[in-house]
Amino acid sequence: MIGEILNPYYLQVASFVMINIILGISIYITLSSGQLSLGNAGFMGIGAYTSALLTIHLGAPIIVGIIAGALVAGILGILIGIPALRLSGVYLAIATLGFGEVIRVIFVNWESVTKGSIGLAGVPHLGRELFNAISGMGFDPDMLGLKNNQVIYLLVLLLLLVINIFLIWFFIRQNKSRVGRAFAAIKMDEKAAESMGINITYYKVLSFTQGAILAGFAGAIYAHVMGYVSPADFAYHRAIEILIFSVFGGSEVIWGAIFGATFMTILPEALRFMSEYRYMIYGTILVLMMAFRPQGIIDFSVLQWFKKGRKSKRGTDNGTGIEKNQ
Amino acid sequence: MVLELKKISKNFGGISALTDVSFTINEGEIFGLIGPNGAGKTTMFNVITNMFPLTSGEISFLGENISGIKPHKITDKGICRTYQNIRLFSQMTVLENVLVGGHSRSKSGVFSSVFRTKFQRKEESVMLENAKELLELVGLSGFEDVVAENLAYGQQRRLEIARALSSSPKLLLLDEPAAGMNETETDDLFTLIKKVQKRGITVLLIEHDMPFVMKLCDRITVLNFGKKLAEGTPDEIQNNQEVIEAYLGTEEDDQIA
Amino acid sequence: MLLEQLINGITLGSIYAIVALGFTLVFGVLGIINMAHGEIFMVGAFVGVMVTSVLGLPLWVAFIAAIGVTAILGYLLERVALRPLRGKQGVSHLAPLISTIGISIFLENLSHHIFGAGNKPFRNSFAEIQFQLGSITIYLVQIVIFIISIALMVALSYWLSKTKAGKALRATAENIETASILGVNTKRTITTTVIIASAMGGIAGILVGMAFNSVNPQMGLSMGLKGLAIIILGGMGNVKGAMAGGLILGIAETIMVAYGDSGYRDAVAFIIIIFILLLRPQGIFGKKTAEAGR
Repeated sequence: MIGEILNPYYLQVASFVMINIILGISIYITLSSGQLSLGNAGFMGIGAYTSALLTIHLGAPIIVGIIAGALVAGILGILIGIPALRLSGVYLAIATLGFGEVIRVIFVNWESVTKGSIGLAGVPHLGRELFNAISGMGFDPDMLGLKNNQVIYLLVLLLLLVINIFLIWFFIRQNKSRVGRAFAAIKMDEKAAESMGINITYYKVLSFTQGAILAGFAGAIYAHVMGYVSPADFAYHRAIEILIFSVFGGSEVIWGAIFGATFMTILPEALRFMSEYRYMIYGTILVLMMAFRPQGIIDFSVLQWFKKGRKSKRGTDNGTGIEKNQ
Repeated sequence: MVLELKKISKNFGGISALTDVSFTINEGEIFGLIGPNGAGKTTMFNVITNMFPLTSGEISFLGENISGIKPHKITDKGICRTYQNIRLFSQMTVLENVLVGGHSRSKSGVFSSVFRTKFQRKEESVMLENAKELLELVGLSGFEDVVAENLAYGQQRRLEIARALSSSPKLLLLDEPAAGMNETETDDLFTLIKKVQKRGITVLLIEHDMPFVMKLCDRITVLNFGKKLAEGTPDEIQNNQEVIEAYLGTEEDDQIA
Repeated sequence: MLLEQLINGITLGSIYAIVALGFTLVFGVLGIINMAHGEIFMVGAFVGVMVTSVLGLPLWVAFIAAIGVTAILGYLLERVALRPLRGKQGVSHLAPLISTIGISIFLENLSHHIFGAGNKPFRNSFAEIQFQLGSITIYLVQIVIFIISIALMVALSYWLSKTKAGKALRATAENIETASILGVNTKRTITTTVIIASAMGGIAGILVGMAFNSVNPQMGLSMGLKGLAIIILGGMGNVKGAMAGGLILGIAETIMVAYGDSGYRDAVAFIIIIFILLLRPQGIFGKKTAEAGR
């Protein structure tokens, strides 16, 4: 019974949902301080290649590779973020798009390291490593009536689920705090935020870098789930896909990006037969959303509506009113 | 002496908005800055908070030269302002607006915020209490969870003052706080500014409502075409021939004379 | 050798300049970066392929067809992606950027769907005509491209500064509301702008087909990003800057291919974008304003 539900294909799709949620949060967190970065596909690529190269060539453990991938992306985020701060709005979007393309061109051309457009194969598989680890501890899939590869995919999914719960918790908490209020203030009125004593440079770089770290982290995990990476995985289309998560799901609240990433990962799988129209549908969605619901599906009022339902059941209210900001 | 301006000039591409303006504000006083439209009053605020860098001159605050310091650092030092065309964080709640005002008086970073350290929880509760007290002061108790843009105009003005007070300023700059208010609201504002003064906060305000200014201020400086025209007590200003000619003469019906 | 490279660079740069003119026109009037411009250019190129190679019709028919189709696309773009956002309360300035990205993705994948991913040859006997000047070979196409791009720039400058429609357009660019109060039909002016810009993209598409004998659905993206790089280089909304920026990029890329690493050719444009934005956001020909800080 359980063996039938845990179809490796579904598990794989669910894992991609998890990775895309991280990417959705990465664009959301940068947007939450009013900056649109289209460079997250580039940061994702940095994370993926860093981790892939470290694990393949230096034999580093996957965990080290993933952390290094996120860190390298973060450091690059700071380096790009500080000068890019002088730009805002459309100009920042273009500069970051340009950054993403430069990264892709480097991946294609630095053949001695990146193997060019073919990409890197043989990246250690996260699930298999996890499986070996628990087998070493004496676990046998048969005990649960499961096949080996079911367990492999299940382990990846469970790990990603834990990571995502942590990340969502982390950023909701951050949003409800002094840091989150500073981001929101900068987004709403940069000058007024500055005259309220907020160090705009610091908080903008902080949110840009957090976005870069998350994207790099998601990229590194992606590499170890797919088992190979190529420059095409981190091109313009990926940047657009990440943008869609937040534009469609909602850019005002973290749940918007989460919903967008989930929906936009499952939809193309559910509509496999029309997969060749996928990007045409994406394009249509972008145009329609901007015309009819620019804030995305999930916004403050939708969230408020959910909250009311919950409150009436529990009858609690912490009275601060700050939860609106999550 | 709280604020001392020494020969402040500000040019915008060859056009001088302020020319050699000097004045000093003493501790605890309510100081008025008046003048016809385009006299450079708001520019003066922007220069004091370093939103626009000075062309020449020097500004010292509590004996310390603050010209050229970043705007957010100036708030740290104890100067906070409101805007002529209200600039609230319009999609935040009333309470959140005031909490943002307290930014410079708090320290929590990412780590302490996310893991809610003891320090952070204490800080938040102090800020919350402080914010509620300020909302009470400006008469917005009970509006904590209202989104700022849904407030009435007069309430938005008062919220902006509460937000500025939340940064515990020593000097509060108010840019036309009475603009667009009716008589009752103006009276309330008068009381509020007096209360602010009682808390030991020095106030510098720009205002067009002359009876209000004359009643409220301890001293007044008049600007005209970016230059200082006169300075003195409300009585002296009302009887200053130059002010009457240059400024009031153009608005004959004004009640000031 | 160097001279030949220079001629190649000028040819490439002239085409870039035409693409950039379309970008700069829309930006100048609407303050919008039309991310779909590259794809409209690509559609123009495909129309050229269809008319000449598939239907076997003469080149001038291809030009007219490409201009017609891209003009219609421009009209649709304005109606579908731009007009619904205009004058609406609370719409972020990023909205037109995102909705034109939507159009660009749609068009790219539509032509991918219709024509497939590969290169389509643009067979044309005209492209074979060449001269020998000493040791250098010059193709007639190169001269034609250069002349067309100069002609377009001159015509556009004249139209903007001398004609009534052009003046209405500049008035609209200055301030939509004021222009509208003064009796300018701003709606029609904006639509005209987008149509003209798109048609110029279509012309550039055919020229690229002729010069490089290859057309594919992905060419719009890279050309679009290069066009962006050029208007950033030349100053947003600046016609002469777009022309100069196009030539600079064309020559820089050709030199990169000839003397550097050809793989990094496409990176030249983006590195230019990043550096210009960071060092001189108003562009090399732009006036110094606070605009770039928007």
